[in-house]
Amino acid sequence: MTVGLCLSLLVSAAAGVGLLRLAWPRTGAAWRWPLGTALGAAFGVGLSSVLLYLWMLAFGPTQGFPLAESGLLGVLMIAALVRGRTAPQPQPAPSHRERRGRPFYLLAGTAALALVAAGAAFLGSLRRQPHGEWDAWMNWDLRARMIFRGGEGWRTAFSGMIPWSHPDYPLMVQSLVVRSWLYAGRETLCGPALVAAAFTFGTVALLVAALAALRNTSQGLLAGLVLLSTPFFIIHGTSLYGDVPIGFFFLATVVCLALDGRYGGATRRFAVLAGAAAGLAMWTKNEGLMFVPAMCAGILVSGTFSGWPAARRRLVAFGMGLFPMLLVAASFKLRLAPRNDLLATLGIERTIGWITDPRRYFLTLREYVAHLATFGNNGLGSATWLLLAYFLAMGIGRREVDRVWTRMTAVALALMLAGHYVVFVAMAYDLPRLLNSSLDRLLLQLWPSALFLLFMAVRTPEEVGSPLRQASPS
Amino acid sequence: MTASTPPTPDNGNGSWAAIRTRLALALVLLYAVASVAAWIRLAATAPARSVPDEISTYELRFQALRGTLPTQGVVGYLGHPDPTGPTPAESNANSLLHFKRYLLAQYALAPVLLLESTEPEFVVGNFDPEAMPSTPAGFRIVRDFGDGLVLFRRSP
Repeated sequence: MTVGLCLSLLVSAAAGVGLLRLAWPRTGAAWRWPLGTALGAAFGVGLSSVLLYLWMLAFGPTQGFPLAESGLLGVLMIAALVRGRTAPQPQPAPSHRERRGRPFYLLAGTAALALVAAGAAFLGSLRRQPHGEWDAWMNWDLRARMIFRGGEGWRTAFSGMIPWSHPDYPLMVQSLVVRSWLYAGRETLCGPALVAAAFTFGTVALLVAALAALRNTSQGLLAGLVLLSTPFFIIHGTSLYGDVPIGFFFLATVVCLALDGRYGGATRRFAVLAGAAAGLAMWTKNEGLMFVPAMCAGILVSGTFSGWPAARRRLVAFGMGLFPMLLVAASFKLRLAPRNDLLATLGIERTIGWITDPRRYFLTLREYVAHLATFGNNGLGSATWLLLAYFLAMGIGRREVDRVWTRMTAVALALMLAGHYVVFVAMAYDLPRLLNSSLDRLLLQLWPSALFLLFMAVRTPEEVGSPLRQASPS
Repeated sequence: MTASTPPTPDNGNGSWAAIRTRLALALVLLYAVASVAAWIRLAATAPARSVPDEISTYELRFQALRGTLPTQGVVGYLGHPDPTGPTPAESNANSLLHFKRYLLAQYALAPVLLLESTEPEFVVGNFDPEAMPSTPAGFRIVRDFGDGLVLFRRSP
């Protein structure tokens, strides 16, 4: 069973990394294994989820899937290797050693300690609640069970007779849980736990690797340290909900856009990959349906800085990456998913009553401020205030802030916050309860991307005049 | 890929920059240390692997029942406590408990669909273990699994 579970993760990750290496541009951006592995694994798990969905449409959730998937991905890998031998290889990263002082090793040691401690806490929390929190057994894992146990009748999992279980939610998490059980050969609580761990620690790995590649190692370690120290991120990771997974794909999108911002003059491939990652976010939770237009709006707004031809080219490339996932998501929404419960209960009179009620705006705004101000509180203080102080102390790196992708991403994240605000005001039946139960989760979805944006924009300790770099011998 | 911004130490105001940087880094490290302490506490107080959690224990009640239900289809459900109470607070608490037990029953009995209704031919009764289960009109008991769990079937 354990071998099967590990294999389920390895097959996805290896295939994703192999395919990403194949898609990586041959000029401009150098290939770095840490970033390539983290980003490739993101695309790999997404691809596996889609493959299982397509397999289920054709054959149902049968035991033949692991063999078929491994075979297919094996063939793809061989094709990639063969092509890799004939095609030019991606540029390796230039090897240069950063000069590092003792404080750098203190930072690296603290980050390693935080990783071990967070890992232990993650396992401890899972042991306390191996079935996850309420929504996991009401929705995510219930649906996985209904599919896995349902056999030929797996479509019952999307019955409109149990609307409280949100049968319209996209299938990323549930399908990956089912897939882990198919690889394991039976239903086990280790399956959802493995999926949750992969997304939680995969997000940390992607954040650190991307910042290490695009800024420097200490900046990556600092961001990773803040993420690992955000209590809600680790604890909610063990809730087995879809918020950490969708945050992972939001981050993958933003990282690809940052790569496009850096190397987009030479290649459009990173913008295509950003579109694919946004599509995978859409395949994870309904919030992804808001993320895609927010990102497109960000790209359009960026046209005012970069010029319309560049924005149009970026938007077309983003759309090319997004398109296959749009088809998959549309097929799910049209063929299987019943109507969204939030939309189904909307009435025109009630909605007008809600959007003309100033108290709802005030209450939502007050909760936004309160939740933002206390987000990531670990008893010592909130992460928001910590990062504000850090930002003020370090200042911004003008070259990064002036880049188009930074503005694009900032616009998209702001639009996401504004979009959720509108949804709360216009659609929430029990507004105080919904704000209380979901606002922190929505903020958590954006948190890794916000950390990436901040640590890309803020000056590195080395740029400010740092104790992290070894003083040059005179 | 290399960092685009070359290191440009703030030489004009070097000592102040260094102090600011040290303070900022110290803040991040302090925040991290507080979280690490919390993680260690959380890990240390985790229950032993042999101790089953609340949901696994609750699920065990349904193991025998699951074997007697059809493998597909819709089954009715009757639960406890009544989602009412003498005060709004008690009413809310009872509703929540009633709903939670229904959800857990559905989670345990998947892929069968559980509906809070006595329309289907089979109905699962998930009652208070202390109370005498009451048979809904027009139904007979197929099996009493004990611990408040009963399977009813519509009488011919």
